[in-house]
Amino acid sequence: MFWRILWRLLYASRARLALAVLAVASGAAVCTALLNLDLDATDKLTREFRVLGANIVVSAPQNGDAAPTMDAVNIERIQQLHLQEVAGVAPYLYLSAEAQAGENDAPVIVAGTWLDEVARMNSWWKVDGNWVRDRDNRNDCMIGEAAAAKLGLVPGKIVKIRYGGREASLTVSGIATAGSSEDSQIFIGLPLAQELGVQKSQVSLIQISANGSAPEIEDVIHRLSIALPGLEIQPLHQLAQAEGRLLERIRGLLFGTVLLILVLTSLGVLAAMAGLALERRRDVGLMKALGGSVRRIMRLFLAEATAIGFAGGIFGFIVGMALSGWIGERVFSVSTTPRLIVLPATLALMVLVSLAGALPLRLLGRVRPSDILRGE
Amino acid sequence: MMAALVQVEDISKTYAGVRALDSVSFDVRAGEWIAIMGPSGSGKTTLINILGGLDKPTSGRAMVDGVNVGTLGERELTRYRAEKVGFVFQHFYLVPYLSALENVMLAQYFHSVADEAEAAEALTRVGLGDRLDHLPSELSGGEQQRVALARALINHPKLILADEPTGNLDEANELIVLELLRELHRSGHTILLVTHSPEIGRMADRRIELAHGRLMHIVANVN
Repeated sequence: MFWRILWRLLYASRARLALAVLAVASGAAVCTALLNLDLDATDKLTREFRVLGANIVVSAPQNGDAAPTMDAVNIERIQQLHLQEVAGVAPYLYLSAEAQAGENDAPVIVAGTWLDEVARMNSWWKVDGNWVRDRDNRNDCMIGEAAAAKLGLVPGKIVKIRYGGREASLTVSGIATAGSSEDSQIFIGLPLAQELGVQKSQVSLIQISANGSAPEIEDVIHRLSIALPGLEIQPLHQLAQAEGRLLERIRGLLFGTVLLILVLTSLGVLAAMAGLALERRRDVGLMKALGGSVRRIMRLFLAEATAIGFAGGIFGFIVGMALSGWIGERVFSVSTTPRLIVLPATLALMVLVSLAGALPLRLLGRVRPSDILRGE
Repeated sequence: MMAALVQVEDISKTYAGVRALDSVSFDVRAGEWIAIMGPSGSGKTTLINILGGLDKPTSGRAMVDGVNVGTLGERELTRYRAEKVGFVFQHFYLVPYLSALENVMLAQYFHSVADEAEAAEALTRVGLGDRLDHLPSELSGGEQQRVALARALINHPKLILADEPTGNLDEANELIVLELLRELHRSGHTILLVTHSPEIGRMADRRIELAHGRLMHIVANVN
Protein backbone atom coordinates (compact mmCIF):
# COMPACT_ATOMS: atom_id res chain seq x y z
CA MET A 1 0.00 0.00 0.00
CA PHE A 2 2.92 2.30 0.80
CA TRP A 3 4.22 2.17 -2.78
CA ARG A 4 0.70 2.45 -4.16
CA ILE A 5 0.06 5.67 -2.23
CA LEU A 6 3.53 6.95 -3.10
CA TRP A 7 2.90 6.38 -6.80
CA ARG A 8 -0.47 8.16 -6.54
CA LEU A 9 1.17 11.05 -4.70
CA LEU A 10 3.85 11.37 -7.37
CA TYR A 11 1.36 11.08 -10.22
CA ALA A 12 -1.14 13.52 -8.70
CA SER A 13 1.50 16.19 -8.09
CA ARG A 14 3.46 15.55 -11.27
CA ALA A 15 3.44 19.17 -12.46
CA ARG A 16 4.83 20.57 -9.20
CA LEU A 17 7.16 17.64 -8.75
CA ALA A 18 8.45 18.07 -12.30
CA LEU A 19 9.57 21.54 -11.23
CA ALA A 20 11.33 20.08 -8.21
CA VAL A 21 12.95 17.37 -10.36
CA LEU A 22 14.06 20.06 -12.80
CA ALA A 23 15.62 22.07 -9.97
CA VAL A 24 17.39 18.96 -8.68
CA ALA A 25 18.46 17.91 -12.18
CA SER A 26 19.96 21.36 -12.82
CA GLY A 27 21.86 21.20 -9.55
CA ALA A 28 22.89 17.60 -10.20
CA ALA A 29 24.15 18.48 -13.68
CA VAL A 30 26.43 21.23 -12.39
CA CYS A 31 27.56 19.16 -9.39
CA THR A 32 28.28 16.15 -11.61
CA ALA A 33 30.22 18.29 -14.06
CA LEU A 34 32.30 19.92 -11.35
CA LEU A 35 32.91 16.75 -9.35
CA ASN A 36 33.94 14.94 -12.51
CA LEU A 37 36.22 17.83 -13.41
CA ASP A 38 37.72 17.71 -9.94
CA LEU A 39 38.38 13.99 -10.18
CA ASP A 40 39.39 13.79 -13.80
CA ALA A 41 40.48 17.16 -15.11
CA THR A 42 42.67 18.18 -12.19
CA ASP A 43 44.44 14.86 -12.56
CA LYS A 44 44.93 15.60 -16.21
CA LEU A 45 45.92 19.17 -15.44
CA THR A 46 48.76 17.93 -13.25
CA ARG A 47 49.95 16.03 -16.30
CA GLU A 48 49.44 19.07 -18.44
CA PHE A 49 51.62 21.02 -16.04
CA ARG A 50 54.40 18.63 -16.86
CA VAL A 51 54.86 20.40 -20.23
CA LEU A 52 56.21 23.19 -18.07
CA GLY A 53 59.33 21.10 -17.58
CA ALA A 54 60.97 19.17 -14.79
CA ASN A 55 60.01 19.59 -11.17
CA ILE A 56 62.71 17.42 -9.53
CA VAL A 57 66.48 17.68 -9.95
CA VAL A 58 68.99 14.98 -9.00
CA SER A 59 72.56 16.26 -8.67
CA ALA A 60 75.90 15.24 -7.23
CA PRO A 61 76.95 17.06 -4.05
CA GLN A 62 79.43 19.96 -4.43
CA ASN A 63 82.98 18.70 -4.07
CA GLY A 64 85.64 21.44 -4.14
CA ASP A 65 85.76 23.89 -7.06
CA ALA A 66 85.25 21.33 -9.84
CA ALA A 67 81.77 21.06 -11.32
CA PRO A 68 80.30 17.96 -9.67
CA THR A 69 79.23 15.06 -11.86
CA MET A 70 77.71 11.66 -11.22
CA ASP A 71 77.74 8.32 -12.98
CA ALA A 72 75.12 7.98 -15.71
CA VAL A 73 74.16 4.62 -14.22
CA ASN A 74 71.94 6.64 -11.87
CA ILE A 75 69.59 7.26 -14.79
CA GLU A 76 69.03 3.54 -15.08
CA ARG A 77 68.50 3.29 -11.33
CA ILE A 78 65.75 5.89 -11.57
CA GLN A 79 64.12 4.13 -14.50
CA GLN A 80 64.32 0.76 -12.76
CA LEU A 81 62.21 2.15 -9.90
CA HIS A 82 59.27 2.27 -12.37
CA LEU A 83 57.72 5.14 -10.45
CA GLN A 84 54.20 5.67 -11.72
CA GLU A 85 54.39 9.42 -11.18
CA VAL A 86 57.55 9.91 -13.25
CA ALA A 87 56.60 11.19 -16.68
CA GLY A 88 60.05 12.05 -18.02
CA VAL A 89 63.78 11.82 -17.20
CA ALA A 90 66.52 13.90 -18.88
CA PRO A 91 70.20 13.79 -17.92
CA TYR A 92 72.38 16.86 -18.48
CA LEU A 93 76.15 17.25 -18.78
CA TYR A 94 77.18 20.92 -18.78
CA LEU A 95 80.38 22.13 -20.45
CA SER A 96 81.68 25.67 -20.34
CA ALA A 97 82.73 25.87 -24.00
CA GLU A 98 83.53 28.30 -26.83
CA ALA A 99 81.15 28.64 -29.74
CA GLN A 100 81.92 30.08 -33.17
CA ALA A 101 79.62 30.90 -36.02
CA GLY A 102 81.27 32.59 -39.00
CA GLU A 103 83.02 35.68 -37.67
CA ASN A 104 81.29 35.53 -34.26
CA ASP A 105 82.54 33.62 -31.30
CA ALA A 106 81.46 33.64 -27.65
CA PRO A 107 81.71 31.58 -24.49
CA VAL A 108 78.56 29.45 -23.99
CA ILE A 109 77.23 26.76 -21.73
CA VAL A 110 76.80 23.58 -23.73
CA ALA A 111 74.19 21.19 -22.35
CA GLY A 112 74.60 17.60 -23.45
CA THR A 113 71.28 15.86 -23.01
CA TRP A 114 68.69 13.47 -24.38
CA LEU A 115 67.36 15.83 -27.00
CA ASP A 116 64.15 13.81 -27.54
CA GLU A 117 63.31 13.98 -23.82
CA VAL A 118 64.06 17.71 -23.68
CA ALA A 119 61.60 18.21 -26.53
CA ARG A 120 58.98 16.12 -24.74
CA MET A 121 59.43 17.67 -21.28
CA ASN A 122 59.63 21.26 -22.51
CA SER A 123 57.01 21.28 -25.19
CA TRP A 124 55.94 24.77 -24.07
CA TRP A 125 59.24 26.28 -25.33
CA LYS A 126 58.82 28.44 -28.35
CA VAL A 127 60.96 27.00 -31.14
CA ASP A 128 61.97 28.68 -34.36
CA GLY A 129 62.90 25.82 -36.68
CA ASN A 130 62.63 22.22 -35.47
CA TRP A 131 63.26 20.24 -32.34
CA VAL A 132 65.95 17.57 -32.53
CA ARG A 133 64.11 14.39 -31.66
CA ASP A 134 66.92 11.87 -32.14
CA ARG A 135 68.52 11.10 -28.78
CA ASP A 136 72.00 10.18 -30.16
CA ASN A 137 72.14 12.82 -32.88
CA ARG A 138 75.72 14.06 -33.38
CA ASN A 139 75.13 16.50 -36.25
CA ASP A 140 72.39 18.88 -35.03
CA CYS A 141 71.79 21.06 -32.05
CA MET A 142 69.22 23.35 -30.45
CA ILE A 143 70.35 26.79 -29.40
CA GLY A 144 68.83 29.23 -26.94
CA GLU A 145 67.54 32.53 -28.28
CA ALA A 146 70.12 34.73 -26.51
CA ALA A 147 73.05 32.55 -27.59
CA ALA A 148 71.75 32.49 -31.16
CA ALA A 149 71.50 36.30 -31.19
CA LYS A 150 75.03 36.68 -29.84
CA LEU A 151 76.42 34.34 -32.50
CA GLY A 152 74.14 35.56 -35.28
CA LEU A 153 72.68 32.10 -35.82
CA VAL A 154 69.46 31.08 -37.57
CA PRO A 155 68.14 27.57 -38.19
CA GLY A 156 70.21 25.73 -40.78
CA LYS A 157 73.47 27.57 -39.97
CA ILE A 158 76.58 25.81 -38.67
CA VAL A 159 77.99 26.39 -35.20
CA LYS A 160 81.39 25.14 -34.03
CA ILE A 161 81.82 24.14 -30.40
CA ARG A 162 85.24 23.90 -28.83
CA TYR A 163 86.06 22.38 -25.46
CA GLY A 164 89.43 21.31 -24.11
CA GLY A 165 91.01 21.33 -27.57
CA ARG A 166 88.26 19.19 -29.05
CA GLU A 167 85.78 20.51 -31.58
CA ALA A 168 82.39 19.61 -33.02
CA SER A 169 80.60 21.22 -35.92
CA LEU A 170 76.78 21.16 -35.70
CA THR A 171 73.82 22.43 -37.73
CA VAL A 172 71.33 24.59 -35.83
CA SER A 173 68.00 22.75 -36.03
CA GLY A 174 65.94 25.14 -33.92
CA ILE A 175 66.22 28.28 -31.83
CA ALA A 176 64.45 27.89 -28.48
CA THR A 177 62.93 30.58 -26.30
CA ALA A 178 62.36 29.39 -22.72
CA GLY A 179 62.50 32.72 -20.91
CA SER A 180 65.15 31.40 -18.56
CA SER A 181 68.86 30.48 -18.40
CA GLU A 182 68.29 27.91 -21.17
CA ASP A 183 68.11 30.83 -23.63
CA SER A 184 71.92 31.22 -23.31
CA GLN A 185 72.71 27.54 -23.80
CA ILE A 186 73.40 25.22 -26.71
CA PHE A 187 71.77 21.77 -26.50
CA ILE A 188 73.61 18.86 -28.05
CA GLY A 189 73.33 15.07 -27.78
CA LEU A 190 74.63 13.60 -24.49
CA PRO A 191 77.14 11.15 -26.12
CA LEU A 192 78.74 13.99 -28.07
CA ALA A 193 79.01 16.19 -24.97
CA GLN A 194 80.58 13.30 -23.04
CA GLU A 195 83.15 12.88 -25.86
CA LEU A 196 83.97 16.60 -25.92
CA GLY A 197 84.31 16.73 -22.15
CA VAL A 198 86.08 13.37 -21.94
CA GLN A 199 83.57 12.48 -19.30
CA LYS A 200 82.28 9.17 -20.55
CA SER A 201 79.36 7.87 -18.48
CA GLN A 202 79.17 11.11 -16.48
CA VAL A 203 76.33 13.59 -16.15
CA SER A 204 76.05 16.86 -14.20
CA LEU A 205 72.44 16.40 -13.14
CA ILE A 206 69.24 14.57 -13.97
CA GLN A 207 65.97 16.42 -14.39
CA ILE A 208 62.78 14.53 -13.61
CA SER A 209 59.24 15.43 -14.53
CA ALA A 210 56.78 13.88 -12.09
CA ASN A 211 52.96 14.03 -11.95
CA GLY A 212 50.99 14.59 -8.81
CA SER A 213 50.15 16.90 -5.98
CA ALA A 214 52.77 18.41 -3.68
CA PRO A 215 52.58 15.52 -1.17
CA GLU A 216 52.87 13.00 -4.02
CA ILE A 217 55.96 14.77 -5.36
CA GLU A 218 57.43 14.75 -1.86
CA ASP A 219 56.83 11.02 -1.78
CA VAL A 220 58.62 10.55 -5.12
CA ILE A 221 61.59 12.54 -3.77
CA HIS A 222 61.64 10.36 -0.67
CA ARG A 223 61.72 7.17 -2.72
CA LEU A 224 64.44 8.57 -5.00
CA SER A 225 66.51 9.51 -1.95
CA ILE A 226 66.42 5.90 -0.78
CA ALA A 227 67.33 4.55 -4.23
CA LEU A 228 70.08 7.11 -4.88
CA PRO A 229 72.11 7.47 -1.68
CA GLY A 230 74.74 10.18 -1.73
CA LEU A 231 72.96 12.29 -4.35
CA GLU A 232 71.02 15.49 -3.78
CA ILE A 233 67.38 15.32 -4.80
CA GLN A 234 65.59 18.64 -4.80
CA PRO A 235 62.15 19.77 -5.88
CA LEU A 236 61.95 22.78 -8.16
CA HIS A 237 60.00 24.62 -5.48
CA GLN A 238 58.86 27.63 -7.40
CA LEU A 239 57.16 25.57 -10.09
CA ALA A 240 55.80 22.90 -7.78
CA GLN A 241 54.31 25.46 -5.42
CA ALA A 242 52.78 27.47 -8.24
CA GLU A 243 51.18 24.31 -9.62
CA GLY A 244 49.97 23.32 -6.17
CA ARG A 245 48.48 26.75 -5.54
CA LEU A 246 46.72 26.79 -8.89
CA LEU A 247 45.28 23.32 -8.38
CA GLU A 248 44.18 24.18 -4.87
CA ARG A 249 42.45 27.28 -6.16
CA ILE A 250 40.74 25.33 -8.92
CA ARG A 251 39.58 22.73 -6.39
CA GLY A 252 38.43 25.45 -3.99
CA LEU A 253 36.48 27.09 -6.79
CA LEU A 254 34.91 23.78 -7.80
CA PHE A 255 33.89 22.84 -4.27
CA GLY A 256 32.66 26.34 -3.50
CA THR A 257 30.51 26.26 -6.61
CA VAL A 258 29.18 22.79 -5.73
CA LEU A 259 28.23 24.05 -2.27
CA LEU A 260 26.48 27.09 -3.69
CA ILE A 261 24.62 24.94 -6.21
CA LEU A 262 23.48 22.59 -3.46
CA VAL A 263 22.09 25.50 -1.46
CA LEU A 264 20.34 26.94 -4.53
CA THR A 265 18.95 23.53 -5.45
CA SER A 266 17.59 23.12 -1.92
CA LEU A 267 15.88 26.49 -2.24
CA GLY A 268 14.42 25.47 -5.61
CA VAL A 269 13.03 22.27 -4.12
CA LEU A 270 11.84 24.22 -1.08
CA ALA A 271 9.87 26.61 -3.28
CA ALA A 272 8.21 23.75 -5.16
CA MET A 273 7.47 21.86 -1.95
CA ALA A 274 6.04 24.89 -0.15
CA GLY A 275 3.17 25.01 -2.66
CA LEU A 276 2.72 21.28 -2.39
CA ALA A 277 2.62 21.45 1.41
CA LEU A 278 -0.27 23.91 1.28
CA GLU A 279 -2.17 21.58 -1.03
CA ARG A 280 -1.50 18.60 1.21
CA ARG A 281 -2.52 20.13 4.57
CA ARG A 282 -6.02 18.80 4.25
CA ASP A 283 -4.86 15.31 3.24
CA VAL A 284 -2.46 15.14 6.18
CA GLY A 285 -5.15 16.27 8.61
CA LEU A 286 -7.48 13.64 7.21
CA MET A 287 -4.83 10.90 7.33
CA LYS A 288 -4.15 11.73 10.97
CA ALA A 289 -7.88 11.64 11.71
CA LEU A 290 -8.02 8.17 10.14
CA GLY A 291 -5.31 6.97 12.52
CA GLY A 292 -2.24 7.63 10.40
CA SER A 293 0.80 8.18 12.59
CA VAL A 294 3.04 11.16 11.88
CA ARG A 295 5.92 8.77 11.21
CA ARG A 296 3.95 6.80 8.65
CA ILE A 297 2.68 9.89 6.86
CA MET A 298 6.09 11.57 6.87
CA ARG A 299 7.68 8.40 5.51
CA LEU A 300 5.51 8.84 2.43
CA PHE A 301 6.63 12.42 1.92
CA LEU A 302 10.28 11.64 2.57
CA ALA A 303 10.08 8.76 0.09
CA GLU A 304 8.62 11.22 -2.37
CA ALA A 305 11.52 13.63 -1.76
CA THR A 306 13.97 10.75 -2.16
CA ALA A 307 12.36 9.82 -5.47
CA ILE A 308 12.73 13.43 -6.61
CA GLY A 309 16.40 13.37 -5.58
CA PHE A 310 16.96 10.12 -7.45
CA ALA A 311 15.16 11.13 -10.62
CA GLY A 312 16.78 14.55 -10.71
CA GLY A 313 20.15 13.06 -9.79
CA ILE A 314 20.15 10.51 -12.60
CA PHE A 315 18.90 12.96 -15.20
CA GLY A 316 21.37 15.59 -13.99
CA PHE A 317 24.23 13.06 -13.99
CA ILE A 318 23.73 12.37 -17.70
CA VAL A 319 23.57 16.06 -18.57
CA GLY A 320 26.43 16.83 -16.14
CA MET A 321 28.79 14.38 -17.78
CA ALA A 322 28.23 16.09 -21.13
CA LEU A 323 28.74 19.45 -19.41
CA SER A 324 31.93 18.19 -17.79
CA GLY A 325 33.31 17.26 -21.21
CA TRP A 326 32.41 20.67 -22.58
CA ILE A 327 33.92 22.62 -19.64
CA GLY A 328 37.04 20.44 -19.75
CA GLU A 329 37.57 21.20 -23.42
CA ARG A 330 36.59 24.87 -23.37
CA VAL A 331 38.00 26.03 -20.05
CA PHE A 332 40.88 23.70 -19.22
CA SER A 333 41.65 22.41 -22.72
CA VAL A 334 41.69 18.83 -21.50
CA SER A 335 39.37 16.02 -22.45
CA THR A 336 37.57 14.48 -19.48
CA THR A 337 36.59 10.89 -18.92
CA PRO A 338 33.28 10.20 -17.13
CA ARG A 339 34.02 8.84 -13.65
CA LEU A 340 31.23 6.53 -12.48
CA ILE A 341 32.11 7.18 -8.84
CA VAL A 342 30.50 10.61 -9.38
CA LEU A 343 27.08 8.94 -9.83
CA PRO A 344 26.61 7.68 -6.24
CA ALA A 345 28.09 10.93 -4.93
CA THR A 346 25.67 13.00 -7.02
CA LEU A 347 22.70 10.81 -6.08
CA ALA A 348 23.55 10.99 -2.39
CA LEU A 349 23.93 14.78 -2.55
CA MET A 350 20.71 15.23 -4.49
CA VAL A 351 18.70 13.00 -2.13
CA LEU A 352 20.06 15.01 0.81
CA VAL A 353 19.25 18.27 -0.94
CA SER A 354 15.73 17.06 -1.75
CA LEU A 355 15.16 15.95 1.83
CA ALA A 356 16.39 19.35 3.03
CA GLY A 357 14.13 21.07 0.51
CA ALA A 358 11.19 18.97 1.67
CA LEU A 359 11.14 20.87 4.97
CA PRO A 360 7.64 22.32 4.31
CA LEU A 361 6.31 18.78 3.90
CA ARG A 362 8.00 17.71 7.12
CA LEU A 363 6.30 20.58 8.93
CA LEU A 364 2.96 19.08 7.89
CA GLY A 365 3.48 16.58 10.70
CA ARG A 366 2.36 19.36 13.07
CA VAL A 367 -1.02 19.77 11.39
CA ARG A 368 -3.89 19.23 13.85
CA PRO A 369 -6.67 17.19 12.24
CA SER A 370 -9.38 19.03 14.15
CA ASP A 371 -8.21 22.35 12.65
CA ILE A 372 -8.35 20.91 9.15
CA LEU A 373 -11.74 19.27 9.62
CA ARG A 374 -13.10 22.56 10.99
CA GLY A 375 -12.01 24.07 7.68
CA GLU A 376 -9.13 26.21 9.01
CA MET B 1 -29.35 -3.31 30.38
CA MET B 2 -26.30 -3.04 28.16
CA ALA B 3 -23.10 -1.41 29.54
CA ALA B 4 -22.30 2.14 28.42
CA LEU B 5 -19.86 2.24 25.53
CA VAL B 6 -19.49 6.01 25.84
CA GLN B 7 -19.51 7.92 29.10
CA VAL B 8 -19.30 11.68 28.87
CA GLU B 9 -18.79 13.13 32.34
CA ASP B 10 -18.99 16.85 32.97
CA ILE B 11 -17.06 17.74 29.83
CA SER B 12 -16.15 21.35 29.10
CA LYS B 13 -14.11 22.76 26.22
CA THR B 14 -12.91 26.35 25.95
CA TYR B 15 -11.40 27.89 22.80
CA ALA B 16 -9.64 31.22 23.39
CA GLY B 17 -11.99 32.14 26.22
CA VAL B 18 -15.12 30.91 24.41
CA ARG B 19 -16.88 27.96 26.06
CA ALA B 20 -17.74 25.56 23.23
CA LEU B 21 -18.92 22.86 25.65
CA ASP B 22 -20.12 23.50 29.16
CA SER B 23 -20.40 20.63 31.67
CA VAL B 24 -21.96 18.10 29.33
CA SER B 25 -22.67 14.59 30.64
CA PHE B 26 -24.41 11.60 29.08
CA ASP B 27 -23.95 7.88 28.37
CA VAL B 28 -24.33 5.88 25.18
CA ARG B 29 -24.97 2.17 25.28
CA ALA B 30 -23.36 -0.17 22.79
CA GLY B 31 -25.55 -0.54 19.69
CA GLU B 32 -27.36 2.74 20.29
CA TRP B 33 -27.94 5.39 17.63
CA ILE B 34 -27.69 8.86 19.10
CA ALA B 35 -28.53 12.02 17.20
CA ILE B 36 -26.72 15.13 18.42
CA MET B 37 -28.71 18.18 17.53
CA GLY B 38 -28.63 21.88 18.05
CA PRO B 39 -28.07 25.16 16.24
CA SER B 40 -24.72 26.17 14.71
CA GLY B 41 -22.11 26.89 17.37
CA SER B 42 -23.85 24.75 19.96
CA GLY B 43 -20.81 22.48 20.39
CA LYS B 44 -21.96 19.42 18.36
CA THR B 45 -18.80 19.07 16.30
CA THR B 46 -16.60 19.84 19.32
CA LEU B 47 -18.25 16.97 21.17
CA ILE B 48 -17.76 14.60 18.22
CA ASN B 49 -14.11 15.70 17.89
CA ILE B 50 -13.44 15.01 21.57
CA LEU B 51 -15.03 11.57 21.38
CA GLY B 52 -13.05 10.89 18.16
CA GLY B 53 -9.74 11.83 19.76
CA LEU B 54 -9.27 14.83 17.48
CA ASP B 55 -9.54 17.31 20.33
CA LYS B 56 -9.09 17.23 24.10
CA PRO B 57 -11.58 18.46 26.70
CA THR B 58 -10.54 21.35 28.91
CA SER B 59 -12.10 19.48 31.84
CA GLY B 60 -14.20 16.39 32.46
CA ARG B 61 -13.86 12.82 31.22
CA ALA B 62 -14.76 11.23 27.89
CA MET B 63 -14.65 7.44 28.26
CA VAL B 64 -15.03 5.33 25.13
CA ASP B 65 -14.89 1.55 25.51
CA GLY B 66 -13.16 2.03 28.85
CA VAL B 67 -10.55 4.46 27.52
CA ASN B 68 -10.31 8.00 28.87
CA VAL B 69 -9.73 9.72 25.52
CA GLY B 70 -8.67 13.04 27.02
CA THR B 71 -5.65 11.58 28.77
CA LEU B 72 -4.16 9.73 25.78
CA GLY B 73 -0.78 10.77 24.40
CA GLU B 74 -0.24 11.50 20.69
CA ARG B 75 0.81 7.96 19.82
CA GLU B 76 -2.05 6.37 21.78
CA LEU B 77 -4.53 8.79 20.21
CA THR B 78 -3.35 7.71 16.76
CA ARG B 79 -4.00 4.06 17.64
CA TYR B 80 -7.33 5.00 19.24
CA ARG B 81 -8.48 6.77 16.07
CA ALA B 82 -7.37 3.87 13.90
CA GLU B 83 -8.95 1.14 16.04
CA LYS B 84 -11.90 2.46 18.01
CA VAL B 85 -13.68 5.03 15.84
CA GLY B 86 -14.86 5.47 12.29
CA PHE B 87 -15.45 9.02 11.01
CA VAL B 88 -17.97 10.18 8.42
CA PHE B 89 -17.77 13.91 7.61
CA GLN B 90 -20.16 16.31 5.97
CA HIS B 91 -17.57 17.17 3.30
CA PHE B 92 -16.65 13.48 2.76
CA TYR B 93 -12.92 14.17 3.11
CA LEU B 94 -11.66 11.58 0.69
CA VAL B 95 -8.04 11.75 -0.49
CA PRO B 96 -8.52 13.18 -3.99
CA TYR B 97 -5.69 11.33 -5.72
CA LEU B 98 -6.64 7.90 -4.38
CA SER B 99 -9.37 5.78 -5.97
CA ALA B 100 -12.48 4.75 -4.02
CA LEU B 101 -10.85 1.41 -3.30
CA GLU B 102 -7.57 3.01 -2.20
CA ASN B 103 -9.38 5.46 0.09
CA VAL B 104 -10.84 2.50 1.95
CA MET B 105 -7.51 0.66 1.90
CA LEU B 106 -5.83 3.74 3.37
CA ALA B 107 -7.80 3.30 6.59
CA GLN B 108 -6.79 -0.38 6.62
CA TYR B 109 -3.16 0.60 6.03
CA PHE B 110 -3.17 2.97 9.02
CA HIS B 111 -4.94 0.34 11.14
CA SER B 112 -2.79 -2.65 10.25
CA VAL B 113 -2.51 -4.18 6.78
CA ALA B 114 -4.35 -3.19 3.61
CA ASP B 115 -6.56 -5.94 2.21
CA GLU B 116 -7.77 -5.13 -1.29
CA ALA B 117 -10.42 -7.89 -1.42
CA GLU B 118 -11.95 -6.82 1.90
CA ALA B 119 -11.95 -3.16 0.85
CA ALA B 120 -13.64 -4.07 -2.45
CA GLU B 121 -16.25 -6.08 -0.56
CA ALA B 122 -16.97 -3.12 1.76
CA LEU B 123 -17.52 -0.87 -1.25
CA THR B 124 -19.74 -3.49 -2.87
CA ARG B 125 -21.85 -3.55 0.31
CA VAL B 126 -22.50 0.19 -0.06
CA GLY B 127 -23.39 -0.29 -3.72
CA LEU B 128 -20.12 0.86 -5.26
CA GLY B 129 -18.80 -2.45 -6.58
CA ASP B 130 -18.59 -0.94 -10.05
CA ARG B 131 -16.84 2.25 -8.91
CA LEU B 132 -13.76 0.80 -7.21
CA ASP B 133 -11.19 2.49 -9.41
CA HIS B 134 -12.94 5.83 -9.70
CA LEU B 135 -11.30 8.89 -8.21
CA PRO B 136 -13.46 10.99 -5.83
CA SER B 137 -13.77 13.64 -8.54
CA GLU B 138 -15.40 11.00 -10.75
CA LEU B 139 -18.03 10.14 -8.12
CA SER B 140 -21.25 11.95 -7.15
CA GLY B 141 -21.61 13.42 -3.67
CA GLY B 142 -23.73 10.47 -2.54
CA GLU B 143 -21.19 8.00 -3.91
CA GLN B 144 -18.35 9.84 -2.18
CA GLN B 145 -20.23 9.68 1.12
CA ARG B 146 -20.79 5.95 0.64
CA VAL B 147 -17.04 5.53 0.10
CA ALA B 148 -16.53 7.45 3.36
CA LEU B 149 -19.00 5.11 5.09
CA ALA B 150 -17.16 2.05 3.76
CA ARG B 151 -13.91 3.59 4.96
CA ALA B 152 -15.37 4.28 8.42
CA LEU B 153 -16.53 0.68 8.77
CA ILE B 154 -13.58 -1.17 7.30
CA ASN B 155 -11.68 -1.54 10.58
CA HIS B 156 -14.80 -2.63 12.53
CA PRO B 157 -14.75 0.35 14.92
CA LYS B 158 -16.61 0.35 18.23
CA LEU B 159 -18.07 3.77 17.51
CA ILE B 160 -19.16 5.52 14.32
CA LEU B 161 -19.02 9.32 14.52
CA ALA B 162 -20.92 11.00 11.71
CA ASP B 163 -20.84 14.80 11.47
CA GLU B 164 -23.80 15.86 9.31
CA PRO B 165 -23.19 13.05 6.83
CA THR B 166 -26.13 14.06 4.65
CA GLY B 167 -25.54 17.81 4.89
CA ASN B 168 -24.08 18.01 1.41
CA LEU B 169 -26.32 15.49 -0.33
CA ASP B 170 -29.44 15.76 -2.45
CA GLU B 171 -32.59 14.04 -1.29
CA ALA B 172 -32.03 10.83 -3.26
CA ASN B 173 -28.50 10.38 -1.99
CA GLU B 174 -29.55 11.36 1.53
CA LEU B 175 -32.03 8.49 1.53
CA ILE B 176 -29.38 6.04 0.36
CA VAL B 177 -26.92 7.12 3.06
CA LEU B 178 -29.60 7.08 5.78
CA GLU B 179 -30.66 3.60 4.72
CA LEU B 180 -27.05 2.48 5.05
CA LEU B 181 -26.88 4.01 8.53
CA ARG B 182 -30.11 2.21 9.46
CA GLU B 183 -28.57 -1.06 8.32
CA LEU B 184 -25.49 -0.37 10.41
CA HIS B 185 -27.64 0.32 13.41
CA ARG B 186 -29.65 -2.86 12.84
CA SER B 187 -26.43 -4.85 12.68
CA GLY B 188 -25.45 -3.54 16.13
CA HIS B 189 -23.14 -0.60 15.39
CA THR B 190 -23.03 2.32 17.82
CA ILE B 191 -23.59 5.58 15.99
CA LEU B 192 -23.28 9.19 17.13
CA LEU B 193 -24.64 11.38 14.37
CA VAL B 194 -24.64 15.18 14.29
CA THR B 195 -27.57 16.60 12.36
CA HIS B 196 -29.68 19.69 11.98
CA SER B 197 -32.52 17.70 10.50
CA PRO B 198 -35.43 16.84 12.88
CA GLU B 199 -36.45 13.95 10.56
CA ILE B 200 -33.01 12.35 10.82
CA GLY B 201 -32.99 13.08 14.54
CA ARG B 202 -36.19 11.10 14.95
CA MET B 203 -34.64 8.07 13.25
CA ALA B 204 -32.15 7.71 16.14
CA ASP B 205 -32.84 5.92 19.43
CA ARG B 206 -32.23 9.12 21.39
CA ARG B 207 -31.66 12.79 20.64
CA ILE B 208 -29.17 14.87 22.58
CA GLU B 209 -29.92 18.54 22.16
CA LEU B 210 -27.23 21.13 22.74
CA ALA B 211 -27.42 24.92 22.88
CA HIS B 212 -24.52 27.31 23.61
CA GLY B 213 -22.41 24.33 24.63
CA ARG B 214 -24.88 23.13 27.23
CA LEU B 215 -26.88 19.92 27.20
CA MET B 216 -30.51 21.00 27.02
CA HIS B 217 -32.42 17.73 26.61
CA ILE B 218 -31.96 14.06 26.06
CA VAL B 219 -35.04 12.75 24.28
CA ALA B 220 -35.79 9.09 23.69
CA ASN B 221 -37.51 8.44 20.33
CA VAL B 222 -40.23 5.92 19.96
CA ASN B 223 -39.49 4.20 16.61
